[in-house]
Amino acid sequence: MALKERPKPFLLPDYCKGCGRCLDACAKDCITLSDQINPTTGLVPVELDLANCNACGMCMDACPEPYGLRPAHEGEIQDFELEDPAKLFGVKPSDAPEPTDIPNETLPLPRTEPLVIKGTYASAVGAILAGCRHVYGYPITPSTEGAELMAKFLPKLDGTFIQAVSEVAAVNMMYGTAGAGLPTMTFTSSPGFSLMLEGVSYMIGAELPGVFVDVMRGGPGLGNIAPEQSDIKLACHGLGHGNTQAITLAPSTPQEMLDLTILAFELTFKYRSPVILLGDGYLGQMTGKVQLPETMIKPGIPKWAVYGDAMHRKNLISSIFLTETELEAHNIHLNAKYEAMQVEVRSETFLCDDAEVVLIACNTPARTAKGAVQALRNQGIKAGLFRPITLWPFPVEALKKAIKTAKRIVVVEASAGQLEDEVRLALSKAGVYQFPELENVRRMGGVLPQQTEIMTRVLGQKEVMA
Amino acid sequence: MSKTSVIYDKFERHSQGQGLKGHATHYCPGCGHGLAHKFLAEAIDALGIQDRTVAVSPVGCSVFLYYYFDVGNTQAAHGRAPVVALGHKFANPDSVVISYQGDGDLASIGLAETVATAQLGAPITVIFINNAIYGMTGGQMAPTTLMGQQSSTSPAGRDQYNGQPMKMAELIAGLDGPVYVERVALFDAKQRIKAKKAIQKAIKLQVEGRGYSFIEVLAECPTHLKMSPEETEKWVKECMEPVYPLGVKKDLTVEPWFHRNAPCFKGEKILALTGASTERPERFCKGFPTQLDKNDVSLKLAGSGGDGAQTAAMLIARAAISEGFDATHIPSYGPESRGGTSYADVHVAEDEVLNPGSPDPQILLAFNAPSLAKFGPTVRKGGYVIYDSSVVTEAPVLDPSIKVFPVPFTGIATDLGKAVVKNIVALGALQAATNIFPKETLLSAIGVALKDKCALIPLNEEAFAWGIKSVEALNS
Repeated sequence: MALKERPKPFLLPDYCKGCGRCLDACAKDCITLSDQINPTTGLVPVELDLANCNACGMCMDACPEPYGLRPAHEGEIQDFELEDPAKLFGVKPSDAPEPTDIPNETLPLPRTEPLVIKGTYASAVGAILAGCRHVYGYPITPSTEGAELMAKFLPKLDGTFIQAVSEVAAVNMMYGTAGAGLPTMTFTSSPGFSLMLEGVSYMIGAELPGVFVDVMRGGPGLGNIAPEQSDIKLACHGLGHGNTQAITLAPSTPQEMLDLTILAFELTFKYRSPVILLGDGYLGQMTGKVQLPETMIKPGIPKWAVYGDAMHRKNLISSIFLTETELEAHNIHLNAKYEAMQVEVRSETFLCDDAEVVLIACNTPARTAKGAVQALRNQGIKAGLFRPITLWPFPVEALKKAIKTAKRIVVVEASAGQLEDEVRLALSKAGVYQFPELENVRRMGGVLPQQTEIMTRVLGQKEVMA
Repeated sequence: MSKTSVIYDKFERHSQGQGLKGHATHYCPGCGHGLAHKFLAEAIDALGIQDRTVAVSPVGCSVFLYYYFDVGNTQAAHGRAPVVALGHKFANPDSVVISYQGDGDLASIGLAETVATAQLGAPITVIFINNAIYGMTGGQMAPTTLMGQQSSTSPAGRDQYNGQPMKMAELIAGLDGPVYVERVALFDAKQRIKAKKAIQKAIKLQVEGRGYSFIEVLAECPTHLKMSPEETEKWVKECMEPVYPLGVKKDLTVEPWFHRNAPCFKGEKILALTGASTERPERFCKGFPTQLDKNDVSLKLAGSGGDGAQTAAMLIARAAISEGFDATHIPSYGPESRGGTSYADVHVAEDEVLNPGSPDPQILLAFNAPSLAKFGPTVRKGGYVIYDSSVVTEAPVLDPSIKVFPVPFTGIATDLGKAVVKNIVALGALQAATNIFPKETLLSAIGVALKDKCALIPLNEEAFAWGIKSVEALNS
């Protein structure tokens, strides 16, 4: 067997940065530092004199540049004048194919009797029916049951649940799985959501889908584990650094925890952007009637994914846009998506048609407010409830209709006015400046507004604090 | 050695591949990254895994790794590359995922992710470039900066107040998760050959599903060490190597273990997990218990942890829903894991529970004296209070319109031989006192709850019957 002749090195001076790492590697002293500045690069490339070269190849191994020292093949004369590498080595463009979408499949489910389950469980079951088999999380009260249920169910479905080292790790595992094009989610609560925000910003920037179920609790700081609507501001206006927005859903029943989780997965892939589901500690723990849908999703793989196979080899998941104009263009693109998301507004109105007193509330306080509306109606007071289901985008057109006959508006919330701020901003942006002065019933620290407090406020009696 | 097909023919992502940028890296002359890139590309080529490879670019000088590698590319937040890699690996277990990171990324900001991922042990490959300095941000101290080494944030040289250099290969090798950990260098031909082999082996172990591998590469940063490339090679050899000894730190022989089935999407299996049934349970109610409320009955169950208040509450909610009503149950506990207060708010509504809280219930089931004292006064006029007369010796005075039923829940349950069924005695008493649902409805809910512990059903039925009898005795 004849030994294959080893190739000698070849160097296109333009691709040499003149670092000289090849000098030591050559036992025959074929390579020297030059004193000639290359006019194209402004650098000083090395010079080769291959008279003594034994083609050991060590210089090529020492060269840090992929197109630096490289083997010269037959016919490739060392013609330093020839500038176009395509002419030297032939054009070899990437053979990675153009990816196409592998669509989701919708599979039928038999009609079942309602389940009686907690809000967090309902959300977990919704995620499974939406096709999610990859859940990452860090235990935090009062969201932990969701993660626990996933830890129990997913291995039985050959899915993945990983308890991450922190919320920071959890959101970045989501980034990886979302980057691979698959549905992924987490359960967290306020302090954990704060930690995830870096990752949320990256996911928005890199246009990745992911569902965040934030079962909100009392803050700031460690606060406590009781229900507060503490993260409305974060979800609507503070998703990490940069120009970030995400569709934010606010369920108020265990049934909605399921329905809106399924919707969240649909929307997160539709817009390639994270979706936030804000629950509250009460709703997470609350058991109620939950009717399962009659279909479920088997996810496909979107064409943009980095799945780790031949079809998706050419793809890149990244939030870097190095030049200012590129990044501006990316932000304009994101703004166009935020604009497109405006059609996703959802809300519920309850007895608002002739309402003189309109309560505005979401999550569990909306149920308390609903109870109050009924009780007020029983007393002959024309009360109604407007419940935003999407907090961002805010359903301002529906709100405008709901308050048409209102003489009073009372915002009922378990926070220091975070929902009221959304109402004010939405009305202001919609050019509505004439509306009744906003009154409020606010509790904080894990105390929820009580029906009696709402009644007292509406009936104009002296406020009774529990 | 040769340019492989794993390196793009033209670096289109590097300023659209214009001019020299189409074929020259963004690295400074003499930088170790280029060599590590080449060896990595050669390994991917040699193993024939280009299509399956996902390279995770970090933050640092190698943030633009994706300019060069014709593989699936993901760019991660600073320090998070290993967990992003895990997300990819679990999404597609057949993919070969490489987390390529510098010293700031891996040994400083991402330390928690680095260590936790290594200990998790799932087969990914981490390539760690240690050049003892921050490159991208411009020559600041790295966690791996040597003692006495000057940097722009340790201008007088790293001293004890800056801490000691992080020896990551040893740290990672000390964990149980990894199967292979080696530290290599690039400063001479011999080390480069070792580095190539180590990188290839590390990836091969992943391809074979044997586990997590970690290669630390001592690399040169001439720019920020303010030396010539030649001097930097010498510095790595003479100054870095004594602190960061080269060689294999861990090399376990492990059988391939990472096998993941494709996720299951079988509807019947999912429904079985959730416990959803296609069969409608038998209904016993003639209609909504309007004797209690027009359309929404509010209950409070209160006791200590272990009294079974939450289970009883859940049974009431399930019973209601099986009858086609709406119901809610909200538990609340004291901060103790065991033995603290345990309250439940339950609503049963004909159509929809509006407010699920029970600040003023129509029915109170109290399992102890403090609960009775606390919630007794909140019960609505004309309501019902049923309490455990075995433990409550002195009942508070309540509104005369309230119907009060002292029933010895604990005494009866103890006589039956199982104190834990006192909540079922309470449910029996609730049924007889309020007729919220027919007996059969609650018994059926108890039966469903105990379907995996059928042997316990007769005892529970007996407890339920005794609860009813006790109330009947009070009524007679």
